[in-house]
Amino acid sequence: MDRHEIRLEWPTGRTRTLAVREDETVLEAAGRDGIGLPYGCRTGACGTCAGRLLEATGHESDDRTLDVDDAFAYRRCQRALKDRHRADGYVLLCVAEPRADCRLAVGPSVHTELVENPWK
Amino acid sequence: MSDSPTQGSAQPEHDHEHHHNHEGPGYATPQAAIEEGGREKLAYVMSLYVGTDVDAPDFVAVVDLDPESDTYCEIVDRIEMPNRGDELHHFGWNACSSSCHMEGLERQHLIVPGQRSSRLHVIDAADRRNPELVEVIEPEEVFEYDLSAPHTVHCVPDGQILISMLGDADLPGGFLELNEDFEIEGRWEPPGEIEMNYDYWYQPRQNVMVSTEWAAPKTYYPAFDLEDVEEGKYGQKIHFWDWEDGTVEQTIDLGEEGQIPLEVRFLHTPESTHGFVGTALSSNMFHFWRDEEAGEYRAEKAIDFEAREHPDWDMPVPGLTTDILISLDDRYLFGSNWLHGEVWMYDISDPSNPRRADSLSVGGTFGDVREVQGREIVAGPQMLQLSLDGERLYWTTSLFSSWDDQFYPEEAERGSVMLKADVDPRTGTLELDEDFLVDWGECPAGPARAHEIRWPDGDCTSDVWQ
Ligand code: FES
Repeated sequence: MDRHEIRLEWPTGRTRTLAVREDETVLEAAGRDGIGLPYGCRTGACGTCAGRLLEATGHESDDRTLDVDDAFAYRRCQRALKDRHRADGYVLLCVAEPRADCRLAVGPSVHTELVENPWK
Repeated sequence: MSDSPTQGSAQPEHDHEHHHNHEGPGYATPQAAIEEGGREKLAYVMSLYVGTDVDAPDFVAVVDLDPESDTYCEIVDRIEMPNRGDELHHFGWNACSSSCHMEGLERQHLIVPGQRSSRLHVIDAADRRNPELVEVIEPEEVFEYDLSAPHTVHCVPDGQILISMLGDADLPGGFLELNEDFEIEGRWEPPGEIEMNYDYWYQPRQNVMVSTEWAAPKTYYPAFDLEDVEEGKYGQKIHFWDWEDGTVEQTIDLGEEGQIPLEVRFLHTPESTHGFVGTALSSNMFHFWRDEEAGEYRAEKAIDFEAREHPDWDMPVPGLTTDILISLDDRYLFGSNWLHGEVWMYDISDPSNPRRADSLSVGGTFGDVREVQGREIVAGPQMLQLSLDGERLYWTTSLFSSWDDQFYPEEAERGSVMLKADVDPRTGTLELDEDFLVDWGECPAGPARAHEIRWPDGDCTSDVWQ
Protein backbone atom coordinates (compact mmCIF):
# COMPACT_ATOMS: atom_id res chain seq x y z
CA MET A 1 0.00 0.00 0.00
CA ASP A 2 1.41 3.37 -0.99
CA ARG A 3 2.18 5.88 1.67
CA HIS A 4 2.50 9.62 1.37
CA GLU A 5 4.37 12.13 3.41
CA ILE A 6 2.00 14.62 4.96
CA ARG A 7 3.51 17.56 6.73
CA LEU A 8 1.14 19.17 9.24
CA GLU A 9 1.76 22.84 9.99
CA TRP A 10 0.17 24.70 12.90
CA PRO A 11 -0.10 28.50 13.02
CA THR A 12 2.30 28.48 15.98
CA GLY A 13 5.07 27.19 13.75
CA ARG A 14 4.92 23.65 15.10
CA THR A 15 5.18 20.97 12.39
CA ARG A 16 4.93 17.16 12.24
CA THR A 17 5.36 14.84 9.31
CA LEU A 18 3.28 11.68 9.01
CA ALA A 19 3.47 8.73 6.68
CA VAL A 20 -0.15 8.18 5.69
CA ARG A 21 -1.31 5.08 3.80
CA GLU A 22 -3.65 5.47 0.87
CA ASP A 23 -6.38 3.56 2.70
CA GLU A 24 -6.39 5.72 5.81
CA THR A 25 -7.48 9.27 6.41
CA VAL A 26 -5.11 11.97 7.61
CA LEU A 27 -7.13 12.17 10.84
CA GLU A 28 -6.78 8.42 11.46
CA ALA A 29 -3.04 8.53 10.83
CA ALA A 30 -2.61 11.50 13.15
CA GLY A 31 -4.61 9.72 15.86
CA ARG A 32 -2.41 6.64 15.50
CA ASP A 33 0.64 8.83 16.08
CA GLY A 34 -0.95 10.51 19.09
CA ILE A 35 -1.34 13.87 17.36
CA GLY A 36 -4.42 15.77 18.47
CA LEU A 37 -6.18 17.31 15.50
CA PRO A 38 -9.67 18.78 15.94
CA TYR A 39 -12.62 16.67 14.82
CA GLY A 40 -16.32 16.17 15.50
CA CYS A 41 -18.56 14.02 13.30
CA ARG A 42 -15.84 12.04 11.46
CA THR A 43 -18.26 11.76 8.53
CA GLY A 44 -17.49 14.89 6.52
CA ALA A 45 -20.55 16.77 7.79
CA CYS A 46 -19.33 19.22 10.42
CA GLY A 47 -16.16 20.85 9.14
CA THR A 48 -14.38 20.73 12.52
CA CYS A 49 -11.45 18.80 11.04
CA ALA A 50 -10.84 21.21 8.15
CA GLY A 51 -7.29 21.58 6.91
CA ARG A 52 -5.95 23.73 4.08
CA LEU A 53 -3.67 22.43 1.37
CA LEU A 54 -0.49 24.50 1.22
CA GLU A 55 1.36 22.46 -1.36
CA ALA A 56 1.12 19.02 -2.96
CA THR A 57 3.60 17.35 -5.20
CA GLY A 58 3.12 14.36 -7.46
CA HIS A 59 5.28 11.31 -7.00
CA GLU A 60 8.92 10.62 -7.74
CA SER A 61 10.54 12.82 -10.40
CA ASP A 62 7.21 14.52 -11.01
CA ASP A 63 7.31 17.81 -9.10
CA ARG A 64 4.34 19.63 -10.59
CA THR A 65 2.03 21.24 -8.04
CA LEU A 66 -1.31 19.52 -7.57
CA ASP A 67 -4.63 20.92 -6.51
CA VAL A 68 -6.56 19.55 -3.57
CA ASP A 69 -8.72 17.08 -5.48
CA ASP A 70 -5.61 15.53 -7.04
CA ALA A 71 -3.91 15.30 -3.68
CA PHE A 72 -6.73 13.42 -1.93
CA ALA A 73 -9.40 10.80 -2.50
CA TYR A 74 -12.45 11.19 -0.28
CA ARG A 75 -13.91 8.29 1.62
CA ARG A 76 -17.24 10.11 1.90
CA CYS A 77 -18.35 13.32 0.32
CA GLN A 78 -17.24 16.54 1.98
CA ARG A 79 -20.70 17.80 2.87
CA ALA A 80 -19.49 20.51 5.21
CA LEU A 81 -17.51 22.27 2.52
CA LYS A 82 -19.04 24.62 -0.01
CA ASP A 83 -17.68 24.77 -3.55
CA ARG A 84 -15.88 28.01 -2.78
CA HIS A 85 -14.07 26.32 0.13
CA ARG A 86 -12.97 23.38 -1.99
CA ALA A 87 -11.78 25.75 -4.69
CA ASP A 88 -9.70 27.52 -2.03
CA GLY A 89 -7.95 24.27 -1.08
CA TYR A 90 -9.80 23.33 2.09
CA VAL A 91 -10.06 19.63 2.85
CA LEU A 92 -11.84 17.61 5.54
CA LEU A 93 -9.17 15.46 7.12
CA CYS A 94 -11.64 12.92 8.54
CA VAL A 95 -12.57 11.70 5.07
CA ALA A 96 -9.43 12.56 3.07
CA GLU A 97 -7.02 9.80 2.03
CA PRO A 98 -3.79 11.04 0.45
CA ARG A 99 -2.76 10.49 -3.15
CA ALA A 100 0.30 12.74 -3.05
CA ASP A 101 2.86 14.16 -0.65
CA CYS A 102 1.71 17.44 0.75
CA ARG A 103 1.86 20.22 3.30
CA LEU A 104 -1.31 21.05 5.20
CA ALA A 105 -2.29 23.91 7.50
CA VAL A 106 -4.04 22.36 10.52
CA GLY A 107 -5.54 23.33 13.88
CA PRO A 108 -8.88 24.87 14.86
CA SER A 109 -8.11 28.20 13.24
CA VAL A 110 -8.43 26.60 9.80
CA HIS A 111 -12.11 25.97 10.45
CA THR A 112 -12.65 29.49 11.72
CA GLU A 113 -11.18 30.86 8.47
CA LEU A 114 -14.15 29.29 6.70
CA VAL A 115 -16.78 31.26 8.54
CA GLU A 116 -17.41 34.90 9.05
CA ASN A 117 -19.94 36.94 10.93
CA PRO A 118 -22.52 37.84 8.27
CA TRP A 119 -23.55 41.05 10.02
CA LYS A 120 -20.12 42.51 10.50
CA MET B 1 -62.14 29.65 23.79
CA SER B 2 -60.50 31.40 26.63
CA ASP B 3 -56.86 32.33 26.57
CA SER B 4 -56.33 31.22 30.09
CA PRO B 5 -54.20 28.12 30.21
CA THR B 6 -56.24 26.55 32.93
CA GLN B 7 -59.69 27.35 31.66
CA GLY B 8 -59.19 27.36 27.95
CA SER B 9 -58.06 23.84 27.35
CA ALA B 10 -60.03 20.89 26.23
CA GLN B 11 -60.66 17.78 28.19
CA PRO B 12 -58.10 15.09 27.62
CA GLU B 13 -58.81 13.45 24.32
CA HIS B 14 -57.93 10.04 25.52
CA ASP B 15 -58.37 8.34 28.81
CA HIS B 16 -55.00 7.41 30.21
CA GLU B 17 -56.18 6.21 33.60
CA HIS B 18 -54.45 8.84 35.56
CA HIS B 19 -54.62 8.51 39.31
CA HIS B 20 -52.61 10.79 41.48
CA ASN B 21 -51.34 8.25 43.92
CA HIS B 22 -47.86 9.30 43.15
CA GLU B 23 -45.30 6.50 43.28
CA GLY B 24 -42.68 7.10 40.62
CA PRO B 25 -39.93 9.72 40.36
CA GLY B 26 -40.58 13.44 40.31
CA TYR B 27 -43.42 15.52 41.64
CA ALA B 28 -47.18 15.01 41.46
CA THR B 29 -47.82 18.48 40.01
CA PRO B 30 -45.79 21.54 38.98
CA GLN B 31 -46.95 23.21 42.19
CA ALA B 32 -45.66 20.24 44.21
CA ALA B 33 -42.26 20.72 42.57
CA ILE B 34 -42.26 24.35 43.68
CA GLU B 35 -43.24 23.46 47.24
CA GLU B 36 -41.26 20.26 47.76
CA GLY B 37 -38.25 20.72 45.48
CA GLY B 38 -36.13 22.90 47.74
CA ARG B 39 -33.32 25.15 46.63
CA GLU B 40 -30.95 23.91 43.91
CA LYS B 41 -27.60 22.95 45.45
CA LEU B 42 -25.88 21.44 42.43
CA ALA B 43 -26.06 21.89 38.69
CA TYR B 44 -24.96 19.61 35.89
CA VAL B 45 -23.59 21.61 32.99
CA MET B 46 -22.48 20.48 29.53
CA SER B 47 -18.85 21.53 29.09
CA LEU B 48 -16.96 21.47 25.84
CA TYR B 49 -13.54 21.36 24.26
CA VAL B 50 -14.69 20.29 20.82
CA GLY B 51 -13.08 22.26 18.01
CA THR B 52 -10.48 24.03 20.16
CA ASP B 53 -6.74 23.65 20.68
CA VAL B 54 -7.33 21.92 24.00
CA ASP B 55 -6.72 18.26 23.33
CA ALA B 56 -9.29 16.89 25.79
CA PRO B 57 -12.77 15.37 25.66
CA ASP B 58 -15.95 17.25 26.54
CA PHE B 59 -17.22 16.74 30.09
CA VAL B 60 -20.20 17.18 32.37
CA ALA B 61 -19.40 19.68 35.10
CA VAL B 62 -20.91 19.39 38.55
CA VAL B 63 -21.27 22.92 39.87
CA ASP B 64 -21.76 23.78 43.54
CA LEU B 65 -24.67 26.21 43.91
CA ASP B 66 -25.02 26.06 47.66
CA PRO B 67 -24.20 29.49 49.09
CA GLU B 68 -23.44 27.83 52.43
CA SER B 69 -20.74 25.66 50.90
CA ASP B 70 -16.98 26.36 50.81
CA THR B 71 -16.93 25.43 47.15
CA TYR B 72 -19.85 27.70 46.14
CA CYS B 73 -19.55 28.71 42.47
CA GLU B 74 -16.91 26.08 41.79
CA ILE B 75 -16.85 23.08 39.49
CA VAL B 76 -16.56 20.29 42.06
CA ASP B 77 -16.50 17.30 39.72
CA ARG B 78 -16.00 16.61 36.03
CA ILE B 79 -17.28 13.53 34.24
CA GLU B 80 -15.08 13.17 31.17
CA MET B 81 -16.36 11.55 28.01
CA PRO B 82 -14.28 8.70 26.59
CA ASN B 83 -13.76 10.40 23.21
CA ARG B 84 -12.94 13.86 21.97
CA GLY B 85 -15.07 15.86 19.60
CA ASP B 86 -18.57 15.04 20.83
CA GLU B 87 -19.99 18.57 21.21
CA LEU B 88 -22.14 17.77 24.23
CA HIS B 89 -25.19 19.95 23.81
CA HIS B 90 -28.57 19.09 25.35
CA PHE B 91 -29.24 16.23 27.75
CA GLY B 92 -32.00 14.76 29.84
CA TRP B 93 -33.12 12.26 32.47
CA ASN B 94 -34.23 8.67 32.07
CA ALA B 95 -37.25 9.54 34.22
CA CYS B 96 -39.07 12.74 35.19
CA SER B 97 -42.40 13.67 36.71
CA SER B 98 -44.12 12.12 33.68
CA SER B 99 -42.97 8.71 34.90
CA CYS B 100 -45.16 9.04 37.97
CA HIS B 101 -46.80 5.66 37.34
CA MET B 102 -43.54 3.81 37.04
CA GLU B 103 -42.85 2.26 40.36
CA GLY B 104 -39.20 1.39 40.78
CA LEU B 105 -38.02 3.86 38.15
CA GLU B 106 -35.78 6.62 39.46
CA ARG B 107 -34.46 9.89 38.15
CA GLN B 108 -30.99 8.46 38.17
CA HIS B 109 -29.51 8.33 34.69
CA LEU B 110 -28.57 11.26 32.50
CA ILE B 111 -28.62 10.65 28.77
CA VAL B 112 -25.88 12.83 27.31
CA PRO B 113 -25.71 12.98 23.50
CA GLY B 114 -22.83 14.26 21.41
CA GLN B 115 -24.29 16.65 18.85
CA ARG B 116 -21.35 16.38 16.43
CA SER B 117 -20.32 12.79 17.10
CA SER B 118 -23.84 11.25 17.35
CA ARG B 119 -22.52 9.25 20.32
CA LEU B 120 -24.91 8.69 23.25
CA HIS B 121 -23.60 8.53 26.82
CA VAL B 122 -25.40 7.31 29.92
CA ILE B 123 -24.30 8.77 33.24
CA ASP B 124 -25.38 7.30 36.55
CA ALA B 125 -26.06 10.23 38.88
CA ALA B 126 -27.26 8.22 41.90
CA ASP B 127 -24.41 9.88 43.78
CA ARG B 128 -25.38 13.45 42.97
CA ARG B 129 -21.92 14.93 43.61
CA ASN B 130 -19.94 12.18 41.88
CA PRO B 131 -21.84 10.88 38.88
CA GLU B 132 -20.28 8.16 36.77
CA LEU B 133 -20.29 7.31 33.09
CA VAL B 134 -21.80 3.83 32.76
CA GLU B 135 -22.68 3.26 29.10
CA VAL B 136 -21.78 4.48 25.67
CA ILE B 137 -23.74 3.89 22.47
CA GLU B 138 -21.34 4.36 19.56
CA PRO B 139 -22.30 6.47 16.52
CA GLU B 140 -22.30 3.49 14.16
CA GLU B 141 -25.18 1.96 16.13
CA VAL B 142 -27.15 5.18 15.77
CA PHE B 143 -26.39 5.54 12.05
CA GLU B 144 -27.99 2.14 11.44
CA TYR B 145 -31.36 3.78 11.94
CA ASP B 146 -30.56 6.47 9.37
CA LEU B 147 -30.33 9.06 12.10
CA SER B 148 -27.62 11.37 13.37
CA ALA B 149 -27.07 14.53 15.40
CA PRO B 150 -29.03 13.82 18.63
CA HIS B 151 -30.63 16.75 20.39
CA THR B 152 -33.49 16.89 22.90
CA VAL B 153 -33.85 14.03 25.38
CA HIS B 154 -37.12 13.42 27.22
CA CYS B 155 -38.18 10.33 29.07
CA VAL B 156 -41.56 9.14 27.86
CA PRO B 157 -44.23 7.89 30.24
CA ASP B 158 -43.61 4.14 29.95
CA GLY B 159 -39.97 4.21 30.95
CA GLN B 160 -38.50 4.75 27.52
CA ILE B 161 -36.38 7.63 26.29
CA LEU B 162 -37.00 9.62 23.15
CA ILE B 163 -34.28 11.68 21.45
CA SER B 164 -34.87 14.13 18.62
CA MET B 165 -32.35 13.58 15.84
CA LEU B 166 -31.54 16.31 13.37
CA GLY B 167 -30.55 14.28 10.39
CA ASP B 168 -29.15 11.24 8.72
CA ALA B 169 -26.29 13.72 8.35
CA ASP B 170 -28.28 15.12 5.42
CA LEU B 171 -32.07 15.20 5.76
CA PRO B 172 -34.57 14.22 7.10
CA GLY B 173 -34.43 14.15 10.88
CA GLY B 174 -36.47 11.93 13.13
CA PHE B 175 -36.68 10.43 16.60
CA LEU B 176 -34.69 7.63 18.20
CA GLU B 177 -36.14 5.61 21.03
CA LEU B 178 -34.12 3.89 23.76
CA ASN B 179 -35.55 1.32 26.14
CA GLU B 180 -35.23 1.25 29.93
CA ASP B 181 -31.91 -0.57 29.61
CA PHE B 182 -30.56 2.19 27.35
CA GLU B 183 -30.57 0.01 24.27
CA ILE B 184 -31.71 1.39 20.95
CA GLU B 185 -35.28 0.31 20.45
CA GLY B 186 -35.55 1.83 16.99
CA ARG B 187 -37.11 4.76 15.27
CA TRP B 188 -40.07 6.18 17.10
CA GLU B 189 -41.97 7.54 14.10
CA PRO B 190 -42.47 6.22 10.59
CA PRO B 191 -39.65 7.82 8.53
CA GLY B 192 -40.61 10.75 6.34
CA GLU B 193 -42.98 12.57 8.70
CA ILE B 194 -40.75 15.62 8.89
CA GLU B 195 -37.76 17.05 7.11
CA MET B 196 -36.00 19.17 9.67
CA ASN B 197 -35.98 18.64 13.38
CA TYR B 198 -34.70 20.27 16.54
CA ASP B 199 -36.47 20.55 19.89
CA TYR B 200 -39.71 18.96 21.01
CA TRP B 201 -42.10 18.96 23.96
CA TYR B 202 -45.06 16.74 24.67
CA GLN B 203 -48.27 17.16 26.63
CA PRO B 204 -49.48 13.61 27.24
CA ARG B 205 -52.85 14.59 28.66
CA GLN B 206 -53.61 16.29 25.38
CA ASN B 207 -52.01 13.52 23.33
CA VAL B 208 -49.86 16.10 21.56
CA MET B 209 -46.21 16.65 20.82
CA VAL B 210 -44.75 19.74 19.15
CA SER B 211 -41.43 19.76 17.31
CA THR B 212 -39.34 22.52 15.72
CA GLU B 213 -36.77 22.90 12.94
CA TRP B 214 -33.13 23.97 12.89
CA ALA B 215 -31.58 22.62 9.68
CA ALA B 216 -29.69 19.63 8.36
CA PRO B 217 -26.47 18.97 10.28
CA LYS B 218 -24.32 19.66 7.22
CA THR B 219 -25.91 23.13 7.12
CA TYR B 220 -25.61 24.24 10.76
CA TYR B 221 -22.58 22.18 11.89
CA PRO B 222 -19.89 24.15 10.04
CA ALA B 223 -21.28 27.61 11.00
CA PHE B 224 -24.03 30.07 10.15
CA ASP B 225 -24.16 31.30 6.56
CA LEU B 226 -26.85 33.77 5.38
CA GLU B 227 -26.62 32.20 1.94
CA ASP B 228 -28.12 29.03 3.44
CA VAL B 229 -31.03 31.06 4.80
CA GLU B 230 -31.65 32.53 1.35
CA GLU B 231 -31.56 29.06 -0.15
CA GLY B 232 -34.23 27.86 2.29
CA LYS B 233 -31.93 25.50 4.14
CA TYR B 234 -33.07 26.67 7.59
CA GLY B 235 -36.43 25.77 9.09
CA GLN B 236 -39.47 27.93 9.80
CA LYS B 237 -42.15 25.35 10.60
CA ILE B 238 -43.48 23.71 13.73
CA HIS B 239 -45.16 20.32 13.73
CA PHE B 240 -47.95 19.05 15.93
CA TRP B 241 -47.94 15.30 16.40
CA ASP B 242 -50.41 12.71 17.57
CA TRP B 243 -48.36 11.63 20.55
CA GLU B 244 -49.66 8.08 20.68
CA ASP B 245 -49.49 7.38 16.96
CA GLY B 246 -46.21 9.18 16.35
CA THR B 247 -47.53 10.90 13.25
CA VAL B 248 -47.72 14.58 12.29
CA GLU B 249 -51.27 15.89 12.43
CA GLN B 250 -50.61 19.50 11.55
CA THR B 251 -47.72 21.66 10.37
CA ILE B 252 -47.67 25.41 10.78
CA ASP B 253 -45.34 27.46 8.59
CA LEU B 254 -44.34 30.49 10.67
CA GLY B 255 -43.13 32.34 7.58
CA GLU B 256 -40.36 34.94 7.42
CA GLU B 257 -41.10 36.14 10.91
CA GLY B 258 -40.56 32.66 12.26
CA GLN B 259 -37.17 31.75 10.89
CA ILE B 260 -35.27 29.06 12.77
CA PRO B 261 -37.75 27.99 15.47
CA LEU B 262 -35.61 26.46 18.20
CA GLU B 263 -36.71 25.91 21.80
CA VAL B 264 -40.36 25.01 22.27
CA ARG B 265 -42.29 24.79 25.55
CA PHE B 266 -45.82 23.91 26.48
CA LEU B 267 -47.08 25.45 29.70
CA HIS B 268 -46.43 23.06 32.60
CA THR B 269 -50.10 22.67 33.54
CA PRO B 270 -50.82 19.27 32.02
CA GLU B 271 -54.24 20.31 30.67
CA SER B 272 -52.88 23.31 28.84
CA THR B 273 -52.64 23.43 25.06
CA HIS B 274 -50.79 26.75 25.13
CA GLY B 275 -47.11 27.11 24.52
CA PHE B 276 -44.33 29.26 23.09
CA VAL B 277 -41.62 28.81 20.54
CA GLY B 278 -38.65 31.12 20.13
CA THR B 279 -37.55 31.78 16.56
CA ALA B 280 -33.86 32.53 16.73
CA LEU B 281 -33.06 34.28 13.48
CA SER B 282 -36.16 36.45 13.24
CA SER B 283 -36.00 36.90 17.03
CA ASN B 284 -39.73 36.61 17.63
CA MET B 285 -41.71 34.69 20.17
CA PHE B 286 -44.71 32.80 18.83
CA HIS B 287 -47.61 31.80 21.04
CA PHE B 288 -49.42 28.64 19.93
CA TRP B 289 -52.62 27.11 21.24
CA ARG B 290 -55.31 24.73 20.19
CA ASP B 291 -58.38 26.38 18.73
CA GLU B 292 -61.02 23.97 19.96
CA GLU B 293 -63.71 25.12 17.57
CA ALA B 294 -61.54 24.65 14.52
CA GLY B 295 -60.02 21.51 16.00
CA GLU B 296 -56.49 22.60 15.22
CA TYR B 297 -53.52 24.53 16.51
CA ARG B 298 -52.87 28.18 15.77
CA ALA B 299 -49.67 30.19 16.13
CA GLU B 300 -49.32 33.94 16.38
CA LYS B 301 -46.36 36.25 16.84
CA ALA B 302 -46.59 37.44 20.44
CA ILE B 303 -43.27 39.18 21.09
CA ASP B 304 -41.06 40.92 18.54
CA PHE B 305 -37.46 41.76 19.31
CA GLU B 306 -36.24 44.38 16.86
CA ALA B 307 -32.83 44.16 15.23
CA ARG B 308 -30.50 46.89 16.49
CA GLU B 309 -27.95 49.07 14.75
CA HIS B 310 -24.41 48.72 15.98
CA PRO B 311 -21.80 51.31 14.99
CA ASP B 312 -19.24 48.65 14.07
CA TRP B 313 -21.54 46.24 12.27
CA ASP B 314 -22.74 46.59 8.66
CA MET B 315 -26.35 45.53 9.08
CA PRO B 316 -28.89 45.72 11.90
CA VAL B 317 -28.09 42.90 14.31
CA PRO B 318 -30.89 40.49 15.29
CA GLY B 319 -31.24 39.58 18.96
CA LEU B 320 -30.86 35.88 18.13
CA THR B 321 -33.31 34.49 20.67
CA THR B 322 -31.71 31.13 21.32
CA ASP B 323 -33.31 29.83 24.52
CA ILE B 324 -36.61 30.23 26.34
CA LEU B 325 -38.19 28.67 29.41
CA ILE B 326 -41.43 28.93 31.36
CA SER B 327 -41.51 29.17 35.15
CA LEU B 328 -43.14 26.18 36.84
CA ASP B 329 -46.14 28.27 37.87
CA ASP B 330 -46.68 29.18 34.19
CA ARG B 331 -46.55 32.85 35.07
CA TYR B 332 -43.36 33.99 33.35
CA LEU B 333 -41.57 33.32 30.10
CA PHE B 334 -37.82 33.91 30.21
CA GLY B 335 -35.48 34.08 27.25
CA SER B 336 -32.04 35.04 26.04
CA ASN B 337 -31.10 37.26 23.11
CA TRP B 338 -27.61 35.94 22.62
CA LEU B 339 -26.34 38.53 20.16
CA HIS B 340 -27.84 41.52 21.94
CA GLY B 341 -26.59 40.27 25.29
CA GLU B 342 -29.91 40.27 27.07
CA VAL B 343 -31.99 38.05 29.31
CA TRP B 344 -35.65 38.99 29.48
CA MET B 345 -38.78 38.13 31.39
CA TYR B 346 -42.39 38.42 30.19
CA ASP B 347 -45.55 37.96 32.18
CA ILE B 348 -47.60 35.32 30.33
CA SER B 349 -50.56 35.11 32.72
CA ASP B 350 -52.51 35.79 29.54
CA PRO B 351 -50.42 33.85 27.02
CA SER B 352 -51.85 35.61 23.99
CA ASN B 353 -50.82 38.99 25.41
CA PRO B 354 -47.36 38.65 26.93
CA ARG B 355 -46.42 41.71 28.94
CA ARG B 356 -42.80 42.72 29.25
CA ALA B 357 -41.79 42.50 32.89
CA ASP B 358 -38.05 43.16 32.90
CA SER B 359 -34.78 42.53 31.13
CA LEU B 360 -31.14 42.57 31.95
CA SER B 361 -28.33 43.63 29.69
CA VAL B 362 -25.10 41.76 30.28
CA GLY B 363 -22.22 40.94 27.95
CA GLY B 364 -22.95 40.27 24.30
CA THR B 365 -22.70 42.77 21.50
CA PHE B 366 -24.79 45.48 23.15
CA GLY B 367 -24.78 44.46 26.81
CA ASP B 368 -24.08 47.02 29.52
CA VAL B 369 -22.51 44.80 32.14
CA ARG B 370 -19.35 43.42 30.60
CA GLU B 371 -17.54 42.45 33.77
CA VAL B 372 -18.60 40.44 36.78
CA GLN B 373 -16.06 40.27 39.59
CA GLY B 374 -13.41 41.58 37.23
CA ARG B 375 -14.09 38.82 34.71
CA GLU B 376 -14.87 40.17 31.29
CA ILE B 377 -18.00 38.62 29.81
CA VAL B 378 -17.10 37.89 26.19
CA ALA B 379 -20.39 36.40 24.95
CA GLY B 380 -24.11 36.91 25.43
CA PRO B 381 -26.51 34.97 27.67
CA GLN B 382 -27.50 31.69 26.11
CA MET B 383 -28.83 28.51 27.84
CA LEU B 384 -31.10 29.31 30.77
CA GLN B 385 -32.24 27.45 33.83
CA LEU B 386 -34.60 28.67 36.52
CA SER B 387 -34.92 27.54 40.11
CA LEU B 388 -38.07 25.54 40.85
CA ASP B 389 -39.45 28.41 42.94
CA GLY B 390 -38.81 30.82 40.08
CA GLU B 391 -36.54 33.11 42.10
CA ARG B 392 -33.13 32.45 40.58
CA LEU B 393 -32.33 32.51 36.88
CA TYR B 394 -28.99 31.07 35.77
CA TRP B 395 -27.41 31.10 32.33
CA THR B 396 -24.30 30.12 30.40
CA THR B 397 -22.82 31.82 27.34
CA SER B 398 -21.91 29.25 24.68
CA LEU B 399 -24.32 28.42 21.83
CA PHE B 400 -22.53 25.97 19.54
CA SER B 401 -18.79 25.81 19.08
CA SER B 402 -18.68 26.79 15.42
CA TRP B 403 -21.28 29.54 15.87
CA ASP B 404 -19.46 30.85 18.94
CA ASP B 405 -16.30 31.13 16.84
CA GLN B 406 -18.18 33.25 14.36
CA PHE B 407 -19.90 35.67 16.71
CA TYR B 408 -17.84 35.56 19.91
CA PRO B 409 -14.38 34.28 18.93
CA GLU B 410 -12.97 35.19 22.33
CA GLU B 411 -15.16 32.55 23.98
CA ALA B 412 -12.72 29.86 22.75
CA GLU B 413 -9.77 31.61 24.38
CA ARG B 414 -11.47 32.80 27.56
CA GLY B 415 -14.03 30.06 28.15
CA SER B 416 -17.66 30.48 29.19
CA VAL B 417 -19.16 31.76 32.38
CA MET B 418 -22.31 30.93 34.30
CA LEU B 419 -24.15 33.92 35.72
CA LYS B 420 -27.25 34.38 37.83
CA ALA B 421 -30.00 36.92 38.32
CA ASP B 422 -32.31 37.14 41.30
CA VAL B 423 -35.92 37.18 40.19
CA ASP B 424 -38.75 38.76 42.11
CA PRO B 425 -41.87 37.03 40.77
CA ARG B 426 -44.14 39.42 42.71
CA THR B 427 -42.80 42.57 41.13
CA GLY B 428 -41.64 40.90 37.91
CA THR B 429 -38.04 42.10 38.17
CA LEU B 430 -34.59 40.74 37.47
CA GLU B 431 -31.40 41.76 39.22
CA LEU B 432 -27.91 40.56 38.35
CA ASP B 433 -26.24 38.81 41.29
CA GLU B 434 -22.77 40.32 41.04
CA ASP B 435 -21.44 37.89 43.64
CA PHE B 436 -22.19 34.89 41.48
CA LEU B 437 -19.73 33.71 38.85
CA VAL B 438 -18.69 30.25 37.69
CA ASP B 439 -15.74 30.52 35.34
CA TRP B 440 -15.00 27.80 32.75
CA GLY B 441 -11.92 29.82 31.82
CA GLU B 442 -10.13 28.24 34.75
CA CYS B 443 -10.59 24.55 33.96
CA PRO B 444 -7.38 22.53 34.42
CA ALA B 445 -7.03 21.42 30.78
CA GLY B 446 -7.77 24.93 29.51
CA PRO B 447 -10.76 27.21 28.93
CA ALA B 448 -13.98 25.32 28.17
CA ARG B 449 -17.38 26.32 26.85
CA ALA B 450 -20.49 25.82 28.99
CA HIS B 451 -23.89 24.99 27.58
CA GLU B 452 -27.09 23.41 28.97
CA ILE B 453 -27.84 23.34 32.72
CA ARG B 454 -29.87 20.76 34.68
CA TRP B 455 -30.78 20.34 38.33
CA PRO B 456 -30.35 16.89 39.87
CA ASP B 457 -34.02 16.64 40.77
CA GLY B 458 -35.82 18.07 37.81
CA ASP B 459 -36.19 21.52 36.33
CA CYS B 460 -38.31 23.81 34.20
CA THR B 461 -37.01 22.40 30.93
CA SER B 462 -37.00 18.66 31.59
CA ASP B 463 -40.10 17.83 33.61
CA VAL B 464 -43.41 17.02 31.96
CA TRP B 465 -46.58 16.10 33.84
CA GLN B 466 -49.01 13.42 32.80
S1 FES C 1 -14.88 15.71 11.76
FE1 FES C 1 -16.72 16.50 11.01
S2 FES C 1 -16.19 16.93 8.95
FE2 FES C 1 -14.47 15.94 9.68
